Amino acid sequence: MALIAQSTVLPAPPEDVWNIIRDFNGHETWHPAVATSLIERGFIADMVGCVRRFRLQDGAELREQLLALSDADHSFTYCLLETPIPLFNYIAHVRLLPVTDGNGTFWEWQAQFDAPEGQLDQMRALVGDQIIQAGFQAIHTLLGADGPSSTPQHHVAQVHE
Amino acid sequence: MARVYVSSIIPATTDQVWDRIRDFNGLANWHPAMRESRIEDGRPADQVGCIRNFKLQTGETIREQLLGLSDYDNSCTYAILESPMPVTNYRATLSLLPVTLGDRCFAQWSVEFECAPTDLDAVTKRLTHDVFQSGFDALKRHFGG
Repeated sequence: MALIAQSTVLPAPPEDVWNIIRDFNGHETWHPAVATSLIERGFIADMVGCVRRFRLQDGAELREQLLALSDADHSFTYCLLETPIPLFNYIAHVRLLPVTDGNGTFWEWQAQFDAPEGQLDQMRALVGDQIIQAGFQAIHTLLGADGPSSTPQHHVAQVHE
Repeated sequence: MARVYVSSIIPATTDQVWDRIRDFNGLANWHPAMRESRIEDGRPADQVGCIRNFKLQTGETIREQLLGLSDYDNSCTYAILESPMPVTNYRATLSLLPVTLGDRCFAQWSVEFECAPTDLDAVTKRLTHDVFQSGFDALKRHFGG
């Protein structure tokens, strides 16, 4: 199993960031990897248990289910139900915490998953770079910041194979 | 129940900051408001349940008991036993999380306590500025932030 935990600091209060990322069907508006998204069965996007069906820019279709959503904690948890990519038992957790010194936001995004023997590194790079880092960068840009002024770390993951 | 929460970004790794703040008897080494700390009864400073007895720069004495220490979560929880502040049921946690983008550290200091409504503003201000933010400012200065 791989566990990837990455975090960044944004120059806006958690409420502002939460307004952007809270909508489980809204990732098509801000995440560069997502082309289109819909919530299945006409459910509403903040109904815990709802499923989002979305297409990536490369055409791949995925389904993810919302397992937890908290406006009190500014956090949500979701799992992958179907994907053409060899990612199994994928559960991700996102949370925002206030940085009172400077009125910013600490944003943590974690994902744990299994992958077939020999493909774990590739999947780890995909999740770490194309999902999490790309998401961080997109929100930094949306908020008008230049982006994390730092060297990304790709191997913060603790891997237990 | 009142709550005060202060958090900051320290320009150092979580390990570096934890090395500096982990010692329950070491507050005076890094926090400008504190001096002359000792652990009562000769117990080790990382023995959960031990009591630190220290003075503020003002000369006031505070006794605090270590309730939890985690090298895994990089966090420390303690309660006030005696202090010049008009508070009861005071329980605070200082914890660190890594900011993986940029090798920095997200530090949080939170406390829950009870006090008379008339004292709340003064206590909140003192904790926010003189204790928590002032500690974080000292850490930022130490690590060149």
